[in-house]
Amino acid sequence: MKNFLLQFRSWLCCALLGAAGMLTHGTAFAQSCGLSNGHAATGTPLRIGAIVGKTGPDDFSSSIQAAAAYFKCVNANGGINGRPLEYLVEDDQWNPEVASQVASKLVRDQKVIALAGNASFVECGANAKLYEQENVMVIAGVGVPRDCYFAKNYVPLNMGPRLSMTEAALYAKQHYHAGKMVCIAPNIPSLGNWSCDGPVAWGKQNGVTVETIVMDPDSADPTSVVLQAASKKPQAILLGLPKGLMVPVLAAAEQQNLGKTIHFVSAASGYDLGVPKAIGPYWKDNFDVNLEFQPLDAATPDNRNWHAVMNRYGDAKNPRDTFSQAGYLAARLLTETLLKLPQGQLDRAHVSDALRQVKGFHSDILCGPFYVGPGDRHNANNAGRMAQSTGTGWQTEAACQAVDDPQLADIRALEQRLSLKP
Amino acid sequence: MNLIGLMPYLISGLGVGAVYALSGVGLVVLYRASGVLNFAFGALGALGAYVASSCLDAAYPAALAWTAALSVSTLTSLLYGLLLAPRLAHRDRVVRSVATLGFALILLGFCEWYWGDTPRRLVLPTDSEAFDFGSVRLTYTRIVGLSLALAMMASISLLLSKTRLGLQMRALSNNRDLSGLLGIRVLRVDAAAWLISGLFAGVTGLLLANLVRLQATVLTFLVIPAFAAAIVGQLVSLQITVAAGIVIGLIEALAITLPAVAAYRSATPFLLAIVAMLFIGRGSIRNATSES
Repeated sequence: MKNFLLQFRSWLCCALLGAAGMLTHGTAFAQSCGLSNGHAATGTPLRIGAIVGKTGPDDFSSSIQAAAAYFKCVNANGGINGRPLEYLVEDDQWNPEVASQVASKLVRDQKVIALAGNASFVECGANAKLYEQENVMVIAGVGVPRDCYFAKNYVPLNMGPRLSMTEAALYAKQHYHAGKMVCIAPNIPSLGNWSCDGPVAWGKQNGVTVETIVMDPDSADPTSVVLQAASKKPQAILLGLPKGLMVPVLAAAEQQNLGKTIHFVSAASGYDLGVPKAIGPYWKDNFDVNLEFQPLDAATPDNRNWHAVMNRYGDAKNPRDTFSQAGYLAARLLTETLLKLPQGQLDRAHVSDALRQVKGFHSDILCGPFYVGPGDRHNANNAGRMAQSTGTGWQTEAACQAVDDPQLADIRALEQRLSLKP
Repeated sequence: MNLIGLMPYLISGLGVGAVYALSGVGLVVLYRASGVLNFAFGALGALGAYVASSCLDAAYPAALAWTAALSVSTLTSLLYGLLLAPRLAHRDRVVRSVATLGFALILLGFCEWYWGDTPRRLVLPTDSEAFDFGSVRLTYTRIVGLSLALAMMASISLLLSKTRLGLQMRALSNNRDLSGLLGIRVLRVDAAAWLISGLFAGVTGLLLANLVRLQATVLTFLVIPAFAAAIVGQLVSLQITVAAGIVIGLIEALAITLPAVAAYRSATPFLLAIVAMLFIGRGSIRNATSES
């Protein structure tokens, strides 16, 4: 009995110490936001807006969910020098007209000082002019169509489908010595052809032939698409498809046993922790994907902080995906910029100016320092990693590498002029 | 491009076309018995396919997964036939058909809510074996689809022409009120039709989830090519429905070789249905749809 009591006591001690350790651990990471002083902000709120494509063909909410969790964390830790952030989120319903209405509501009626964490398929084209006219900056989580990367006041944290595809092509050349590739993308305006034009232009400069196939995303016949691609006798097939479309294309390729003769490489849209299991063991060590950010499960400090913020201030049901990483980064960038401004300058004009001055935003989730800058367009995230399916997960295969898309000439020139990147 | 060059697309289209044909037969059976165009056919198939996928994820035996899929699709269809369809039995055909659209949206919403948008794949044991034709493989799954379409067409033809239930279905198709007065148990025959249609939906759901993709929205709206096939068959002829389903699959696959239309080839069923309505048996379709 005495032995049992001793054992029980030591077990209890260990359990309590463990629990205390876990709590301290969680708290330490969760408080790593804003001023991290543990005091709730009580001053006059500062309004931050966001527009997201929530209801429609897909739900992009995880970006704003992460931004909201980060702002909650900031508010619980001193806010912006005592002033809490009020985060106003609107759903554009994947409808450009609704996107314009909600942007006007946020910018003109609610008078937000900036927007952060946006993730929408339609709002870049619909609202870019308004943001420029009203001199309000958008530190977006995720940009998808071309319009998001050709706007003066819209700054996406991700690299976008075109650069992601070009990075995948570069990898296929370096690792598989592919001299002929086929790029498959959905037949969606401002996305399909544009995202494949990156590899095509890069290929012309690097002696690689890249042909494009834009597929009807509603087609019930993925087999014909892969057969058409295979008929061009490529060494690599580049996929720029959403996960829901990529998995059946790979399944069709497997049924035709094309994975044994052709390398399949995907843009970041194919990166999800559930994909390796969904596509199955056939693609083990045989399917590569580009990463716009740090791998989701990487144990780097900032990536752990993102998880900790989500665990403490987000909902358990919020996805921990790349959109979430992007939303977290957007919220952090804005918060750090606001914290550097004096109290009297927390208005839209000063905030927009301060955001344009951002040159050295560091996070291990990104491949290098991020900047906003004075440019007429923004694509500061222009380097990425590659990962390979292990059958049950992803193995990072290639370290950060800059994308060599000829369309980045103006961005590279700006980076050199401002000494933003080496 | 010569015929050998087109061979891969012909083989690819044959598989999907066969499943369109199978779906078309399932729609025509129900329509002939109860006068309802079942918009929920695809959603019933999707539900079964998701159940099979969940069973396989939980490491249940494959046979159990397929049985569960077919059972869920069949029973859900039967429950609709027993509980909701009778309450609409005296309404116009259009109302009864549109009600199934509501049912489809409920099933679609449930699938999306319960299974979410995590990418899934349904692998069938028949995927790994195939006949090799040089640049293309004809998997056993496609052969199964084609065989099932022909077998089901034959069995339903026999059911309708040689059995008492088939006779009652045909009587209902001609005149429901008169059939009721003659002593045919209308609701029971209706229920049998819902059961058969549900079974077809389960089978086609499994095949389409494999050949096309396991995604609720896509599977729900794949009922459209099946409708096109059924319309070409004037909602009556099983043989023409099967042929039309296969032709739709083939045209859709071959369209990829024409760059100008390749990106819009999912419109094939609509175009074929429009042509059918304009030029084929206008009188028959009008008569069939106006009966109530």
